[in-house]
Parts: sequence; structure tokens; C-alpha cells
Amino acid sequence: MTATHPSPDVQQYPAHFEPPHGSTWRTFFGPGLVRGAWMTVAGFLIGMLLVLALRWWWGWEPLWNTEVILVVGGMVLAPIGFLAGIGSFDYWLHYISGRPTRPEDHSGHGAKTWKDYFRVNTDHKVIGIQYLVTTFAFFTIGGLMAMFFRAELAQPGLQFVDSQTFNGLVSVHATLMIFLFIIPAFAGLANFAVPLMLGAPDMAFPRLNALSFWLLPIAGLMFVASFLAPGGAFGAGWTGYAPLAEGQPLGQTFFNMGVQWAGASSIMTALNFLVTIITMRAPGMTFWRMPLLVWANFTTSLLVVLATPFIAGSQFFVMFDRVMHTSFFVPEGGGYVLGYQHIFWFYSHPAVYIMMLPGFGIVSEVISSMSRKPIFGYRLMALSLLGILVLGFSVWAHHMFVAGMADWLRVPMMITTLLIAIPTGIKVFSWIATLWRGRIHLTTPMLFALGFVTMFVIGGLSGIYLGSVPIDIAASDTYFIVAHIHYVLFGGSVFTIYAGVYYWFPKMTGRMYSETLGKWHFWMTFLSFNATFFPMHYVGLRGMPRRVFDYDEAFGNMNLFISIASFVLGASFVLFVYNVITSWQRGPVAEANPWRARTLEWQVSSPPPIFNFDEIPQVVGGPYEYGVPGARHAILTPTKEAQKEAEEVHA
Amino acid sequence: MRKGIVQLVAIGVVIGVAVALVAVLFQWLPESASEEFDRIQDIYWFATWMSVVIFAVVAAVVVYSVWKWRVPPDDDAEGPPIHGHTGLEIAWTAVPAILVIALGIVSAVVLSRNAEEKEGALEVRALGQQFAWTFEYPELGDFETGELVLPVGRQAQFTMESVDVIHSFWVPNLGQKMDAVPGIETEIFVTPKRTGEFAVVCTELCGLGHATMRAKARVVTPAEFDQWIEEQRT
Repeated sequence: MTATHPSPDVQQYPAHFEPPHGSTWRTFFGPGLVRGAWMTVAGFLIGMLLVLALRWWWGWEPLWNTEVILVVGGMVLAPIGFLAGIGSFDYWLHYISGRPTRPEDHSGHGAKTWKDYFRVNTDHKVIGIQYLVTTFAFFTIGGLMAMFFRAELAQPGLQFVDSQTFNGLVSVHATLMIFLFIIPAFAGLANFAVPLMLGAPDMAFPRLNALSFWLLPIAGLMFVASFLAPGGAFGAGWTGYAPLAEGQPLGQTFFNMGVQWAGASSIMTALNFLVTIITMRAPGMTFWRMPLLVWANFTTSLLVVLATPFIAGSQFFVMFDRVMHTSFFVPEGGGYVLGYQHIFWFYSHPAVYIMMLPGFGIVSEVISSMSRKPIFGYRLMALSLLGILVLGFSVWAHHMFVAGMADWLRVPMMITTLLIAIPTGIKVFSWIATLWRGRIHLTTPMLFALGFVTMFVIGGLSGIYLGSVPIDIAASDTYFIVAHIHYVLFGGSVFTIYAGVYYWFPKMTGRMYSETLGKWHFWMTFLSFNATFFPMHYVGLRGMPRRVFDYDEAFGNMNLFISIASFVLGASFVLFVYNVITSWQRGPVAEANPWRARTLEWQVSSPPPIFNFDEIPQVVGGPYEYGVPGARHAILTPTKEAQKEAEEVHA
Repeated sequence: MRKGIVQLVAIGVVIGVAVALVAVLFQWLPESASEEFDRIQDIYWFATWMSVVIFAVVAAVVVYSVWKWRVPPDDDAEGPPIHGHTGLEIAWTAVPAILVIALGIVSAVVLSRNAEEKEGALEVRALGQQFAWTFEYPELGDFETGELVLPVGRQAQFTMESVDVIHSFWVPNLGQKMDAVPGIETEIFVTPKRTGEFAVVCTELCGLGHATMRAKARVVTPAEFDQWIEEQRT
């Protein structure tokens, strides 16, 4: 629970904490963005001096090595300085050094003004919103980059940028969308919803939760800042294959290190979710009574914890090859080029499920409550998540069918890849069976959920083409792949993020969004999404490779069409932003439970009280018992009475 | 209920036919110029018909459900409490399993046939470097060309290498593709079945000139090929 129980010998300030110094002193030396700023600079300078001193000591020439100084000063010590400055470590440092810690009066909880969102805050609901706003900001940047290179691609040949910038735009676009949008946006939605759904007052480790969030902007700024590096942004794709990445300009290091910060954030969040889900369920909340969103995040967190260290390793190896002149992936030095791909995809294939399973959870919530029916085959829905988890670790080499890896590995990897269609199919069929004979409320989240189901089927089916080795040999590394990943990650993940944001918007903000604008947003997104990405299957199969700024004239008209559609897709996002901002400011006040959903987050006020539940909920049944006479998911009355009532329900 | 099923099937058929028309009326694949690509196209159509049916089923149920059971916002009734149906769940586990395993078997057979070396294969070495392809015919003479020329009807065995970063060799009309990786040798087999001019493209991002790393490929008659070899030797 949130309240830690300090041992008696730990000193504490009195309950109402008053910092001992004046306000100017506090601005500069108290936790906050000002101290964060100067400690960032201080961190960088310490790193720079450290590198210079060591190089001088050993007599290395030249004394000034920009790349080493950037890595040590700019990408390790400056971020640590920033985190320390804003106060992420204050409690722990005080505790370790035996100084008085801040009392657990939960002064870090809740947000009274917008300024509270720019502080280290330990309230999972505040952190959830911090995550979402940050990730949508990076979504905007990544989307603008996409529109920029779509403008370049509207005609064959180079028009606006040089080829390093083009490769940089493509690489940073993908990196931001994956590491700074889809993965953390899901983490944000889950941060908000999961503790509420479990009947818990917060996450298991609120301070760790705050730290995980603040690592994200560091990673994001690193990726974006790579454009300022001499030589331009990293241009080896988000996959950063060695040895190409090893010969890239300085910008590549920003990728190698940015991934570490984003990865650390993911791992910490995942551990937090696992401990929260295992230990902080309300009384009566057995695993088989958990909402599917919780199941989905449980599975995703297992994937994150097991897989993410692999991408961290792969990027460290590349950076060591670049900075320290090791030869992990340098063939002349005995390195093994394909080794990079094996390690990279051992994370990055499970990462596809990290980017999809939380969406499955969101869609299960939305479809069930908007169809007013129990989710079809609840247990199989949960088990199929675990099936995907296990199979997801055995398919990484399907990204390498044409990479020149051991031939015998291709058929087994093809079989496991194709088998993933089975648990995925179970989920799709169960969702549409949930619709069957329901009472369907076609609200905006439901539209996005249904859009997701149909678009994800297309992405899944093109995945079956790619799972078959011979077809993959023809289609690999072409625009067919670009079409496939966008059907999975946009038609799949992004649609579910939209569904989730609309669904929990009233709970998060206490206000309703505009349904009319939401529907316009859906239809515009849905149509322009298909117009943008469906033709890519065609140009890809016909012979257009991916990641090219120039292409055969024959694909000119099709690419122009795709580019125009992509601008419409970009414009549709404006509707969403406008809807969110205006509704947040002055939308109609939301009821506690506008969807009449059964899960716990809807049983408290909108937005929820500062500690979520004024009384500990007593869970007495499944989360989706729509239409079952007398069925209840939980009873929210003071504990003793709840138990009595629970006994009556069981009797 | 029977009327409902008929309507559902009708929607499914309409969607299925529409999607099938999209699959058939557009020329999605480049015209095959090799025996290997013919076999790949066979699996492609297998996967396509499977996909058309699955998409039609899912889309039909979604469209039908929304059309039939949509309620106004103020409706506050609940749906029937259906929790599952064991028979259905077994069916939609088993049927996709059978389909994907069938696809897997067909794919494995094609993969192994496409990797069979025939007697009398023509040895071709493809060298990738930033940003051009070079071809050598080690059995036929000590020369290099920037243009790939192959005799029709004779299997070519490509051995690939790279001197710098990873490249990927692809002739869209020949179907086969393989990375050229520094430090290791990779190989593919291609048997051209008709003459013509095609494009060689690099499909693995290899740096600044990746987009322009293209070459010409010509499939010619055996007589023309021999003549071309003679010209190269001199």
C-alpha cells in the first residue's frame, strides 16, 4: 500500500511538513524544474570534466572526444542530474543518509492546478495523465515527421531534404512512435485504470512509478535532439542494424542511449504493475475475477520484464563498438553481424505484443460494456493472452527469413509464427461473439473498438502472408511490410489507445468529451488510415522497397495518393486534440459511471477521490456480469458490512 | 432467426465478393519470370483466399450486429447473459489451427523446392557494396559486370557477399530475395522462365544511397547469353 511503515529509528518531520528555508532558496534548491535545470547542466559538466581528466591522465589524444563526452556527460550524468534535480530521488537519498524523510502525508498526491503535473507526483492517476499528455506530444512530433517525409515521397527523386535527413526522419518517426507513444501511452492508460480496477489505493511503488514516468521525456528528447548532432539524426532505421549503425554519424549514439532510458522506464513500470496486480487486489478479487485489461497488463508486464533487457544489450554492444572500438558486430574483428539481429528481435518481436496486448484489454472492456453483455469466453480470453506470451518468445527469427541465418531455423519459426494466429483468432472471434445479440451503444470508444477489430484482422492476415517463408521472401523489406506494421500498430494499437482515451476520459477529467466530434474523428481517421496504408501493400508487392527516398517512376501516382491521404490522416488528429482540450476545459460534467460499466473504476466519482476508494471494495463476482439478474462485481460499503453483504450474496 | 442467418450470410457474401474483386481485379503481384516465383504465387493465392473468407466472416458479423442490435443512447436494458459456448470456442480454435498448419505445410514444401539445387546450375556471385551491385560468373571467366544477365530456363545459383554493410538482393519479377551480409556467404536459387528486362533493387537499408542502389537484370536466350559471355571475356 502507499503508506510505508518507517522503522522507529528513522526520523520524520512533523505531519505538516514545512521546509526550513525561505522561498528563493526553495526555488533553487528545493525539488522542482529549476533545480532540475541547473543540475542537468551540472551533471553534464561533471561528466565532461571526468572524461577530460581521465583522458589527460592516460595521455590519450585528442583530449576532446565529442562522442565520449556526449555519452558520459550528456546522456548519462545530465539525465541523472535532471532526475535528482526534480526530486525523484529525494525520499530515497534522505532515507539512505539517515536524514529525516518527508512524512507520508501524501502531499505528493492529487493535482490541484496544472502546475502539479510538472512536478514529481506519486499519485497513479496524475502519473497516468502525465504519461498520456507526454506521449501524445511525442505522437504529434512523430506524426509531423511522417507527414514531412510523405511530402518528400509524393514524387520520385529528392525534393525537400537530403538523404541522411530522410533516413533520420524515417528512423526517428518509428522510434518515437514505438518507444515514446504506443508503449508508454498504454502504460499511462493502465497506470490510471489498473489500480482502480483492482480496488487498490495506488500502485505498489508510487515513487518508482513517478521515476518511471520522468525517464520518458529524457528518452524522447534524446531521440529528437539527435537532429542537432553533427551529421544529422540516426539514420539506420529504428531497427539500427549493425554494421550500418556502427558507421552512422554521432546521432546514432542518441538512439543507443535513448533506448536505455525508455527501456529502463518500461521495465520499472512493468515490475510495478506485476507487484501491484499480484499483491494489491481488493478482497475477493481473484485472478479469475480480474477485468481483462488487468490480465492484459499482467501479461504485457511479464513480456516487458523478460524481453526489454535484450534490446538494452543490443544497443550497448553497438555503442561499445562505436565508442570503445570493441567488435561485437564487426566481422573483421571476429564479430557476428547476424548476432545483432537475433538479440534485437528477441526483444523487438515480443515488443509487438507489448504494443498490442494492452490494446486487447482496452477493447475487451469497451466492447463488453458497450454491448451490455458479458465478454464471450472470459477464461479463454485470459488464457489466450498467456498463449501469445509464450509463443511470442519463440518467433523472433521470422524477421530474419531473408537475413541469411541458419536455414533449418526457418520452418520451425514459421510454424510458431503461424500458430500465434490461433490465440489471436480466439480473441477476435470472442469479441464479435460478444457483440452478438447485445444492445450495442455506438459511442466513440465503441467505434474505435470495432474499427480496431476489423483493421487488426487485416493486419493479422497480412501477418499470415509474412509468416509463410516463401511469401515473406518476396515481400520482406518492401512497402508491404510498412503496410502490415501500420495495420497492426495504427489500425491495431493506435485505435485502441483512442478507444481507451475516449472511454476513460470522463473518469480522468470529470467531464464528457463531445460525441459528435469524436465520431467525426473516428470516421475521418478510419477512412484516411485505409487510404494511406492499404495501397502500400500494392506498391510493396510490385517492387518498391521500404526506407527509400526515391523509387521507380511507375509508383509515382500511387505514392502521391498515399501522401495526400496521409495529410488527411494528420488533419484528423487535430479534431481529436481540439475535442480533448475544449472538453477538458468546459465539457459537460461527467457522471460517475456514464457507461454503466461494472468494473471498479466506475463505482467511484469522476474524477476518483484522492485515494480512489473511501471504503475498501469487496469483490463478489466477475467484472462483466451484464444481464445476469442480481449479479454484482463488487460491494462498496465499509468493510464489515461489505463482508456481511458478501456472505449474503454467496448464500 | 432463420431470416437473420440469411441476412448475415448475404452480408458476408457481399463483403466477400467485394474483397475478392479487389484481390483479383488489381494486379497485386509483378508478373512472374521464374519457376520459384510461380510456386510462391501459388501460396500467395492460397493465403489470399483464406484471408478473403476470414475477413468476410468477421466483417459480416460486425456489420450485421451493429445494424441489427444498435440501440439509442438512452436505452438502459442489458443484453442476454451469454458467457460462452464450448462448441463454438473449440471450432474457432480448431479451424484456424487447421488452416494455418495447412499453409505452413504448403509453405515448407515450396521453400524446400525453391532451395533445391539442380544439376548444371549456373554459378553467379553477387557482391553488394555501398551503393552498387557487382556480378561475377566464376565458372565462365574472370570478369565483373554491373548488369545481371541470366540465360532463360537454366537454374542460377546466387552466392552473395557484402564488403561493408548488409544489403539485400531482390528482383521483384524473380521473387527470390536474400541479404548480402558482411562476414558470411548466403545463397538463393532462381530459374528464369521467360526473357525480359527487370530491375535489381537493394531492399535492406544500407545508407545514404540505398534508394538508388539498383541495377539492370536481363534474362536472355542461351545463345544470346553465350554471346554476351564472349563479349565480356574480351
